[in-house]
Amino acid sequence: MAYSKLGEMLEKGEFILTGELEPEKTCDLSHTIQEAKEMAPYVVAANVTDSPLGIVTINSLAASAIIQRETGLEIIWQQTVRDVNKLGLAGMIMGAHALGIRNVLSLTGDHTNLGDVKESKPVFDLDSATLVKLVREMVDKKSINGHEIECPPTLHVGAAANPNSNPMEAEALKIGRKAEAGVEFIQTQVVYDLDKTIEFLKAIRKYNVPILLGLFPMKSYGIAKGFDTFVPGVDVPKDVLAKWKRIKTDITDKKAQKEAYDQANYEFLKPFITELKSKKLLDGVHCMAVHYPRIFPKLVEVIKG
Amino acid sequence: MVVITTKKEVPEVLEALKDVNKVAIISCGTCAALCQTGGTDGLKYWADILEEKGYDIVIGAVIEDVCDNRVMKKEIRRMADEIAEADAILTASCGLGAQSILTVLSDKYPTKLVITANDTQFMGMTERIGRFYMRCQGCGDCLLNETGGICPIATCAKGLMNGPCGGMVDGKCEVGNYENDCGWVLIYERLKALGRLDLFTKLREPRDWSESGHQREVVFR
Ligand code: SF4
Ligand code: SF4
Repeated sequence: MAYSKLGEMLEKGEFILTGELEPEKTCDLSHTIQEAKEMAPYVVAANVTDSPLGIVTINSLAASAIIQRETGLEIIWQQTVRDVNKLGLAGMIMGAHALGIRNVLSLTGDHTNLGDVKESKPVFDLDSATLVKLVREMVDKKSINGHEIECPPTLHVGAAANPNSNPMEAEALKIGRKAEAGVEFIQTQVVYDLDKTIEFLKAIRKYNVPILLGLFPMKSYGIAKGFDTFVPGVDVPKDVLAKWKRIKTDITDKKAQKEAYDQANYEFLKPFITELKSKKLLDGVHCMAVHYPRIFPKLVEVIKG
Repeated sequence: MVVITTKKEVPEVLEALKDVNKVAIISCGTCAALCQTGGTDGLKYWADILEEKGYDIVIGAVIEDVCDNRVMKKEIRRMADEIAEADAILTASCGLGAQSILTVLSDKYPTKLVITANDTQFMGMTERIGRFYMRCQGCGDCLLNETGGICPIATCAKGLMNGPCGGMVDGKCEVGNYENDCGWVLIYERLKALGRLDLFTKLREPRDWSESGHQREVVFR
């Protein structure tokens, strides 16, 4: 049974492209809404993040509902277990349904200690796997702890995976737990290393969960360098960094530079995705290029064929 | 097992003692002595500070097992005159010691001040004096038999039942700047070595807080 466009495409086995929106520390969503409008023609749905890095932003459920209402873009609401206990999460799942949200991504969430409200109590009553289980219980069994929900929620639930994870086997086995909990799709962390990605995707293929591979098209050399330096566990390949640097230094005309970055992203991603698709390891792509919506037409080209 | 304590900052303790003059110091000779927050170290430390500030120290005693009500009943009886004279009791012990004193005193001296000189940190495993580690949080439903003997509640920064989380990089935890081992990777490695990855793969239910989210007691007689 499909409750959303994403659900329908998962059911039909169509190749999926999703995007990502990161609301910030503001009650005004106009920038995020603008970005959503720009990516809407190209993606099936977009994630709305839940205070990443523990840095407080506008509530992700509120933002999800408003963006979806204002733009018509289907939202994958990111729900972390960091800030709310099981009782609260269950209430939010019903609230999400009532607000028209039909997809949820279950995440652990970055620890409060990393963010800007460090003194907050870290909750972690559930974890990402048991939150998946809770959603499936509420949706499929129409109950919580055996207590009936009069009008039950209908949401598709996804979870995350990290192909860069070391030890990889621990991560792969964890996906097995999420599969057992009833996860309906996986979105991965950003990948750059083709061999590692293939190894990981092969290891989790047996769980029969559709996989959307995380990509991070890089808008500029500064972003690429920052990503390489500041995102733990993810390395941007040296030759990619060098290429981005050349674009920055060699091309001075702004418009030509933008086009060169877009083309460079295409040239890096196309063979990567083609290879994984030919190996039948992918069901879609999740693009985390926040504040870079103009790349989407190129991404559509990347995943074509 | 040791209840690990650290000394409170002096101004905080002085603030708590600001309206009193006569102080009895009870310093615990057991766990707190090992942490050098109690015993003769703790007694001398606080006696020197209070004397310098002009307090009248009516008695200073090192007592073993301050957390044991039976011990404290006997000791308070022995110090009856000094306790009666003191405006406040400063306790260089853990939070259990402080409340054991309060429990024992409350019949006879319901309003006697008991001020704690220490911050109680955790139940600790001792490597050597000065190196103590939290390895158990007394959750009331021990998982060690399922996790290769490593506690996920105390060693995972999020106390997860199904780790590792996405915050793990190369076996290290996102909390503490990737310097501490990820508890769930330790569990994975141990279970793998034991040939029990089946236990690792198991989807664990969330912790049941219905029995442990409020005041707990163990009564068997
Ligand atoms: S599971 Fe951990 S916290 Fe609970 S009793 Fe066992 S060692 Fe202690
Ligand atoms: S990295 Fe490991 S220890 Fe740290 S919070 Fe995640 S699972 Fe727990």
